[in-house]
Amino acid sequence: MSKIHCLLAIMVLCIILVPVTAYLLGGWYAYWGHALLAIIFGVLAVFIKTRYY
Amino acid sequence: MAPPIPETTPETVAGVIAAIAAFLTISILLGFFVRKKAKSFEEWLVGRGDIGPLVTGFALVASYLSGWAIFGNAGLGYAYGWSGSWLIGTTSVMGMTLCLVIGYRMRRYVALGARTVPEMLRVRFESRMVQALAGLAMIILLVVYSVGQYKAMATVWTITTNTRFEGSLLATAILVLVYLIVGGYTGTQWVSCFQGILLTIVGWTLGITALFWAGGPAKIAETIGMQTFTYPGGQPTQIPLNDYTLPLPPPEGLAFPSVDYVGVTAAVFMFLFMATGFPHNIARFLGTRKITKREYWVMLLILIVGGLTPLWIGVVGFAARTVWNDTLMTAEYAPMYGDSAAVYASISAGGVPLTSLFAASVFAASVATLAGMVMIMATNVTRDLIHNAYPKASPKRLLGLTKLMLIPFIAIPLWWTFTSPPPILSEFMAGSAVAQAGIFFFVVGVSMHWKGATKWGAIATIIYGLTLTLLHPKAYGKLVGLYHWGYWALLLMFGSALIYFLVSLSTKPLPEEKLEKLFPKREG
Repeated sequence: MSKIHCLLAIMVLCIILVPVTAYLLGGWYAYWGHALLAIIFGVLAVFIKTRYY
Repeated sequence: MAPPIPETTPETVAGVIAAIAAFLTISILLGFFVRKKAKSFEEWLVGRGDIGPLVTGFALVASYLSGWAIFGNAGLGYAYGWSGSWLIGTTSVMGMTLCLVIGYRMRRYVALGARTVPEMLRVRFESRMVQALAGLAMIILLVVYSVGQYKAMATVWTITTNTRFEGSLLATAILVLVYLIVGGYTGTQWVSCFQGILLTIVGWTLGITALFWAGGPAKIAETIGMQTFTYPGGQPTQIPLNDYTLPLPPPEGLAFPSVDYVGVTAAVFMFLFMATGFPHNIARFLGTRKITKREYWVMLLILIVGGLTPLWIGVVGFAARTVWNDTLMTAEYAPMYGDSAAVYASISAGGVPLTSLFAASVFAASVATLAGMVMIMATNVTRDLIHNAYPKASPKRLLGLTKLMLIPFIAIPLWWTFTSPPPILSEFMAGSAVAQAGIFFFVVGVSMHWKGATKWGAIATIIYGLTLTLLHPKAYGKLVGLYHWGYWALLLMFGSALIYFLVSLSTKPLPEEKLEKLFPKREG
């Protein structure tokens, strides 16, 4: 699997982890955890765009 | 003992009016300054293709943060506790960065003559029919979206000036008209940039202030964990607010997005697609200059800071729930209910200065957005429908007609909000957001990156998306047994995707020599 596929897989994982963290953690941890997952997703999206396209 | 729900003072009224007047003046001056520099109306709309990352980034933040995010999110947090988080948009940054990496290509279409999103589609597919259909879809969906903006501003006006809700709605409509007449329409990136900075600063400040006002994060979590859901009107239930889903009883309860994890999943995808799907968002890239790799990271930073603002407004709702329990859900606060939480919390936690700034922010987010949408809908009629069908129509007549069309597009959502205001505005607006996400993410966003997209794929997707919109569980969905918001939203978004790709793959795309112009080898 190429590096770009790995990065895309992490982005998909970020999406999957959103409801999972809500179910398992709840409360503030889930609330700000979602924001953190979204930021990781955003950083990877921009990294892929600037590095590969 | 909990502090009482605050009363409006003459100082509050004066502060709110002064803040709105100041905002209006700055917007008008900025708009005037930019217009003076622009050599033509089209240049005023999209600039000279020289707008940098800071202005584009904050303009994108401003167009994303409507009355829903800057105001309605507090209502969601207040009314639904943690389960309101899904519509608060805790993952907004995901969608906004997708919009950044996908939407940048819009600037390519300016060189090919496009000045609006439907025009971009005409260029992409060489089809006037796609342009007209996209314009029509935007009109329908933006009318729904405008209802929420009306409620946001009218609620602020009602509470801060002690006016009746109906009177506040009229005041909002008048403010929109004034905003349009004096030229404050936020077509320019600079005005939007100013608004984006204002919304971000005020949202963060109000959220952090409210967090401490309510006793801190631990106290909020503990208090919400002990409370139960109350329907708008005051009917209590035994359904606890301490979970990320709220299992409201079927069949009506199924129309609530966070009723279960199917709805929650749909909400996550809605936020993923909608920032790109909102035509008024993606249009922000029409005037952008070439962005370097480093500037991409600057824009990402802006989107992260701006994209966290909705979460802080959600915190305001949690704080208000902690302090006042379910008082604002009772009939005494109809028709504003939980949506009034942000205003009361700003008065109680921040006093006159913060309330005034917050009112100016809601004005920026809702009235300015409303004015922008009214303008878009009016030009959809004249530019995308009439001029499209009769290319020889005189520009003077079209301009006159555009001005005339402002009246119905101010009046229709006004009448809707007047006769049946939605109890929780963000929940209502989510219906339109799903449709915009499902239709335009693919028809606009993906089409800029996929050569195989065809006009028939776009047309089929728009028709399918609009049909499914009518089948919203709170509209005509019940007639076909579609009670569940989550299934409806997934069916709309992924059904649109399926139709878009299947129809495109089975029809003929534009010839390669034409596609070369739209898909040059190097990103321009």
